[in-house]
Amino acid sequence: MASLDSLSAAQIAAGVRNGDFTATEVAQAALDAIDGREKDVQAFLQVSADLALKAAAQTDARRAAGEKIGPLAGVPVAFKDNMHLVGTRTTCASRMLENYESVFTATCVRRMLDAGATPVGKANMDEFAFGSTTESSAFHRTNNPWDTSRVPGGSSGGSAAAVAAGEATLALGSDTGGSIRQPASFCGVVGMKPTYGAVSRYGVVAFGSSLDQVGPFGRRVEDVALAMNALTAPGRDPLDSTSQDCAVDFLEHLDDPVEGLSVGVVPQLMEAKGLSQEVRDALAAALDSLRDQGARVVEVDLPNIASAIAAYYVIAPCEAFSNLARFDGVRYGYQEPDCATLAQQTSLSRAHGFGEEAKRRQMLGAYLLSSGVYEKYYYPAQQVRTLITQDYARAYQSCDVILLPSAPTTAWRFGDVSDPTQMYASDMFTISNNICGNGGVSVPLGLSAQTHMPVSAQLQGPAFSDRRLLRFARAIERGVDQGLGLGGGAPVAPAFAGRGGDL
Amino acid sequence: MRKLEDVLKDWEAVIGLEVHTELTALDTKMFCNCRLSHDDPPNTNVCPVCLGMPGALPVPNRKAIQSIVMAGLATNCQIMKHSMFYRKHYFYPDMAKNFQTTQGPVAFCMHGHLDLEVEGAGAAERPLWEDVAADGETPIARAEDGSYTVPIRILRIHMEEDAAKMVHSGGEEGRITGASESFIDYNRCGTPLIELVTEPDLRTPEEARLFMEKLQQTFKTLGISDCSLENGSMRCDGNISLRRRGETRLGTKAEMKNINSFKSLHDALEYEICRQAEVLEEGGIIYQETRHWEPSRRRTVVMRVKETADDYRLFPDPDLAPFDLTDDFIEEARARIPELPDAKAARYVAELGLKRADARQIAGDPAVASFFEEALEGAPAKVVATIANVMVNLAPSFDALTPAQVRGVAGLLAEDAITFAQAREVLEAVNGTDEDPERVVDERGMRQVTDTAALEPIVDEVLARCTDQVQQYHDGNKKVVGYLVGQCMKASHGTGNPKLFNKLLTARLEA
Amino acid sequence: MALSQDDVAGIADYARIALTPDELEQMTTYMNEAVELLEPIREYDLEGVEPTFHPIGDLSNVMGADVVDDSVRALPIDRALENAPSAHGRYFRVPSILGDSEEDF
Repeated sequence: MASLDSLSAAQIAAGVRNGDFTATEVAQAALDAIDGREKDVQAFLQVSADLALKAAAQTDARRAAGEKIGPLAGVPVAFKDNMHLVGTRTTCASRMLENYESVFTATCVRRMLDAGATPVGKANMDEFAFGSTTESSAFHRTNNPWDTSRVPGGSSGGSAAAVAAGEATLALGSDTGGSIRQPASFCGVVGMKPTYGAVSRYGVVAFGSSLDQVGPFGRRVEDVALAMNALTAPGRDPLDSTSQDCAVDFLEHLDDPVEGLSVGVVPQLMEAKGLSQEVRDALAAALDSLRDQGARVVEVDLPNIASAIAAYYVIAPCEAFSNLARFDGVRYGYQEPDCATLAQQTSLSRAHGFGEEAKRRQMLGAYLLSSGVYEKYYYPAQQVRTLITQDYARAYQSCDVILLPSAPTTAWRFGDVSDPTQMYASDMFTISNNICGNGGVSVPLGLSAQTHMPVSAQLQGPAFSDRRLLRFARAIERGVDQGLGLGGGAPVAPAFAGRGGDL
Repeated sequence: MRKLEDVLKDWEAVIGLEVHTELTALDTKMFCNCRLSHDDPPNTNVCPVCLGMPGALPVPNRKAIQSIVMAGLATNCQIMKHSMFYRKHYFYPDMAKNFQTTQGPVAFCMHGHLDLEVEGAGAAERPLWEDVAADGETPIARAEDGSYTVPIRILRIHMEEDAAKMVHSGGEEGRITGASESFIDYNRCGTPLIELVTEPDLRTPEEARLFMEKLQQTFKTLGISDCSLENGSMRCDGNISLRRRGETRLGTKAEMKNINSFKSLHDALEYEICRQAEVLEEGGIIYQETRHWEPSRRRTVVMRVKETADDYRLFPDPDLAPFDLTDDFIEEARARIPELPDAKAARYVAELGLKRADARQIAGDPAVASFFEEALEGAPAKVVATIANVMVNLAPSFDALTPAQVRGVAGLLAEDAITFAQAREVLEAVNGTDEDPERVVDERGMRQVTDTAALEPIVDEVLARCTDQVQQYHDGNKKVVGYLVGQCMKASHGTGNPKLFNKLLTARLEA
Repeated sequence: MALSQDDVAGIADYARIALTPDELEQMTTYMNEAVELLEPIREYDLEGVEPTFHPIGDLSNVMGADVVDDSVRALPIDRALENAPSAHGRYFRVPSILGDSEEDF
């Protein structure tokens, strides 16, 4: 008897293909695991058992009919609840959309399903993806599977926690300023933010349109590569004007050595205020491992990166204000009852439908876009964006990837960080990549000796070099597998392993 | 209130137009693949994009961009290769996203112009002593009859999307005032819309009317829109202010809405010029406000006063890639531009010898022009002018003629086989049928006798009978021959050709 | 220059977010703190630096064909109105736009 906990996505798909087990059995095992674990992790806003079983039955039927089944056949996948899937509500963890029925299916979701994946549910998140802990969900918090008194990170906290707790083998999240990489780091799983444009945003409720990017979570680098293939193989999405072809096989060259390639480090970042010693130590070990595998280490400079947070907190709230203006309670969403006038209905629907952080970001954006202020902040922020992009381009002339932390610390306890502007600073290592649209991936390094929580490294690379990023991620994972001195790789969190999920 | 011509002697009217034109000739909306609606039930042609559903994303319609480039080229605009779409925010549910996707400081088309030929009575609206156009350099040359040509500069033409239609319930006559609730139909939301903004170069209501007319002719000829003012596929707002003659500073302007015919445009501006003059002459002030034209009462009424400029929070739309139009794209658009009305009219004058007025009238409407050109096919050169004459003076009264029928009637007219009055009768008979005019003429025995030998006895008879008139003729009253022709026509029961009678009578009288 | 509560109330009015007096006070504190965080942006000499509104490299001229797509995306009326809190027949419904005000649009 096997357990889903010990199977990678690739192994599940192979098992279904070979007839070792059926997709339906996998779906039942996943639902069983969710049943046994969800009360402690609370990663989901909605478990889509019917859809899961239906999709699995279709996969089995196709196999029985001798048809080709996809590379993700039977793999249980969770979707962040800002992604539309017909047959589910898409709430963005907001009262505003509490009862919103998806009227179409997002391209990223469609592609995972077309590859044979089984949709197990919609994952919790910070409301409209505004946050770094998933605490701003209007419905409930999500616990970090490695220590349920700690936050899972955010905003894709539910997706990361579901994978870490073994409730799903893969999950999709969205990353606007670190919302995939930071929770991946907090929950000890692999999380990838691909290059902007590599994955379609069509059907993903927008936060910051020039920053948002969809990407996968998995417990193994190979699983993430498999998901990247499913997301990008059909080519650019004609429904997303900013999407581009990304025609590579992410599995090809995944295990190639990194010997002869170069990894950049930014000394200035490793000295950053707020970076904890445990993360710094883990990064040093990861760098040693890459060096041991033959990679060259070079120092690079990103002189304008300190301004990335400021640029981000201009651009992101402006885009958020604009994107969320449509929530007025007319065509969908929360509508304040018994209002005499439209203006009253709109203002009260928005006041009562949105949570605090959603209102704060929109207010900030509405201010920053106003005439006279736009010229002082918005336009210069986009110019600073150019400088940061140029910094990276210059750095990538002397290295293939840059190694840096995913987050300055490991996951903190609920309530430890509450001030919003202080919270914003926790994105310091991830935000710059959204600013310039490059790809980044968070790779688990094991547990830290101090907090016993997962600690991760982040790899960043030039635009559309995401395959090389995964090759480096795989090299780090190899190092971890061989024992970096930081404990094991990225298993299911021990408190959850084995609670349901037997095949 | 004083009369327009008096007011315009003391005051200069400064008029600018904003013209919105829906690209009705396209199949789909601006940013999605929904069918363009014409008379569909509410919310029939909607999708996540045009309903502003969360997660939906826009993709610009290539043909819409091509159409606006054609519009820009046809109005002598500079085509801006680099431009972007912007988001213009205002909370109103007729725009599903609560922002309109439009263009920013740089539009696809900038800095164009149209030359207006102002003729007839309307030319007198502009005082005769004015001799330079609003651009400050182009001289206005007056013809003897007062007609003149003036260039009107176009600031820009930008691409945007139309809003939804709202139905107001519970108020008077469907007005929003007093309405207890409103209903929204998003069929029109997202329809490709181009907005043309003129410089404030227009000086008279007639010029404004002619500009709109010319713009309509141009866009119709391009085949990008049906340009119906009545149905709202072409909509015009006018900005107008007055200043004393000789003053260079601009006065406070009022914006005029609800103009849905050329006549309304002229009359609303005429009213507003006279109203503003009266206010100013009585020492009052003009408020910057939006005014609504009430055609039934022939007046404008205030809709709202703008206290502060609206702040639309414009910023480049991150969901839409910027444009860097290629030369190929622009040339492809240029190649699709058919012969424009001015060129066509000039050709009709130069090649076919048409009268200028006839040529312009035919060339102005692409449907009329192509009908005309079809009617010309196989017609002898001497019939061409008659075809034009029939097109301009007779054909507009009929709705279902074929080009061949017009050609046939014109042929009969040209050889004097029928009179002009008979031509109308023949057209009426063949309208909506595939009848040959020649057969109708023959069947009804309308063909006029052009055989001199057959007509001479009648002439003899009439001259013998009307001795008084013959005497008058010899006394110098040559006009009396008209009476004699009438007598001949009567005697021939209308079958004789009047021109021929005239010729025969004159020859006999002069002999 | 710090934002006053009046300034913030004006922004809330524009953004159609009703705020209670307490919320207005908190929001004002937040806005001023947040704007302070943005100051680094204003310390640059950005003369001659082009802005990056779209992080998409040279991608431009993205357009789609003018072809009706009735099958994939068009929403039948029941789907279009499915999430609408108030509808009227085939229409979306909103309450009085002007209320008792005399102003007209």
